[in-house]
Amino acid sequence: MAKIIEISGLSLGFQRDEQQHTVLENLHLGVERGEFLAIVGPSGVGKSTLLRVVVGLTQAFAGDVKVLADKTPNRRPIAMVFQEARLLPWRKVLRNIMLGLEGLDLDAATRRERAERALSLVGLAHCAERWPHELSGGQRQRIGLARALAVEPELLLMDEPFAALDAITRQGLQDELLRIWAETKKSILFVTHDIDEAAYLADRVILLGGSPAHVTREFSIRTPRPRARDGAALAAAVGEIRAGLSESYAYRVASSA
Amino acid sequence: MTKTKTLALGAVGLVSLLLLWEGFARSGAVQSTLIPAPSAVPAAWMSEWDLGFWQDMVAASFSHYAVGLLIGSFLGVCIGVAVALMPRVNASQAWIVRIVRPIPPLAWIPFAIIWFGVSETAAAFIISIGIFWINYFAALTAVQSVDKDLIEVARAFGHHSAIGRLFKVILPAASPGILGGLRTGLGQGWMTVIAAELFGIPGIGQRMIEASGLLATDVVVLYMLTIGALYGITDYIFMLAQNRLLAWQK
Repeated sequence: MAKIIEISGLSLGFQRDEQQHTVLENLHLGVERGEFLAIVGPSGVGKSTLLRVVVGLTQAFAGDVKVLADKTPNRRPIAMVFQEARLLPWRKVLRNIMLGLEGLDLDAATRRERAERALSLVGLAHCAERWPHELSGGQRQRIGLARALAVEPELLLMDEPFAALDAITRQGLQDELLRIWAETKKSILFVTHDIDEAAYLADRVILLGGSPAHVTREFSIRTPRPRARDGAALAAAVGEIRAGLSESYAYRVASSA
Repeated sequence: MTKTKTLALGAVGLVSLLLLWEGFARSGAVQSTLIPAPSAVPAAWMSEWDLGFWQDMVAASFSHYAVGLLIGSFLGVCIGVAVALMPRVNASQAWIVRIVRPIPPLAWIPFAIIWFGVSETAAAFIISIGIFWINYFAALTAVQSVDKDLIEVARAFGHHSAIGRLFKVILPAASPGILGGLRTGLGQGWMTVIAAELFGIPGIGQRMIEASGLLATDVVVLYMLTIGALYGITDYIFMLAQNRLLAWQK
């Protein structure tokens, strides 16, 4: 299978008082085309920063991110969904979705049409003319997803997109995401600290841990889809990941002591 | 409270004030030139109108006001936004502003006269100073407090140029603060317009000084109320526009 993105030797972290503090070191990671890859790790291992580097919002200290998506003037190779929906409050829903289309080589009618299509894909076609503050948290997050889908990316980056939602809404949106993923065949790089979520959604789960963090374990979730949330196969996978996580957490504590 | 009830109570308050004032003026406790009765104002208005003074003075004051308002607001917003976007300029302006800003607009009158003579330009200049500072600070603060997360969203979705970010995110996000500044300036402008005309530039202020010299206090009151009404109208119109522009707010 061909890769959509190839990350090699990536180190990143934060800068304070002109000093670089490495948080994540020497990361090698590839995402296959059409793959759903989840990255799991405790807070502070640089999961979000990794996505920010991939989408170009911040610079890595070292290493290389190769995006192998086709470059076309009317699409963006990568799009991001943030933890908080981050909609522009002064734009109605449809215009929010158009944000990423405005820099592309598209006429107004096409922009509108693509935004409407993305909106239908997340099931909120009836909300096109609402203000963001009139929506629920779950709806806002779906608009954030639609905004990313509208640019027709090959790779979708998702930064704990459901973490701020209540459990019921979260389940609904997870299933919605799986449906959209199956329909659109996107590659997804999904960051979360929720093991159940990672196991339920992903083809492959990568565990980050240690200090500075690195890949501690990698799991392929072979449970066939659609998956039963309370099925035995999934429970086994979750158990395995959980064991791996406590291992790497113990390692992290030991190495930072 | 219902809308009609609110309106009715507002009217009751206003009418009671006028009645109290009328009663006091007529009681003979003070001379009618010291406190003219409100009922004397319509007559004063008629005579000022017949002489053509009222129309001319309002037109003249309005033109000083409009010019000062436009210049002060435009420069204040533009420079405020620009400074907020340039951290170095922002740091270097801090002390200049701290010293220059507290100078009241009226303290510029001597220079206004030396530079522009007793002219319309001088009045507009004085008016624009007060309005400038209000808008400068409003715009500066509004831009500085724009949510950085939203700027990041614009970047993540391909708006990398400074201009793109300015128009897609910064200005709309700062618009409530900027509009608030414009509205405050709108009021401040009417306050300085009169003061700026007191030293002889034709307008409402000058007419008031003339009238008070003749103890025609009913005429003074007429122009006081005129200013109040002009401010009320401009503020109301601006508020309607503001509500429209900020309909997206909760």
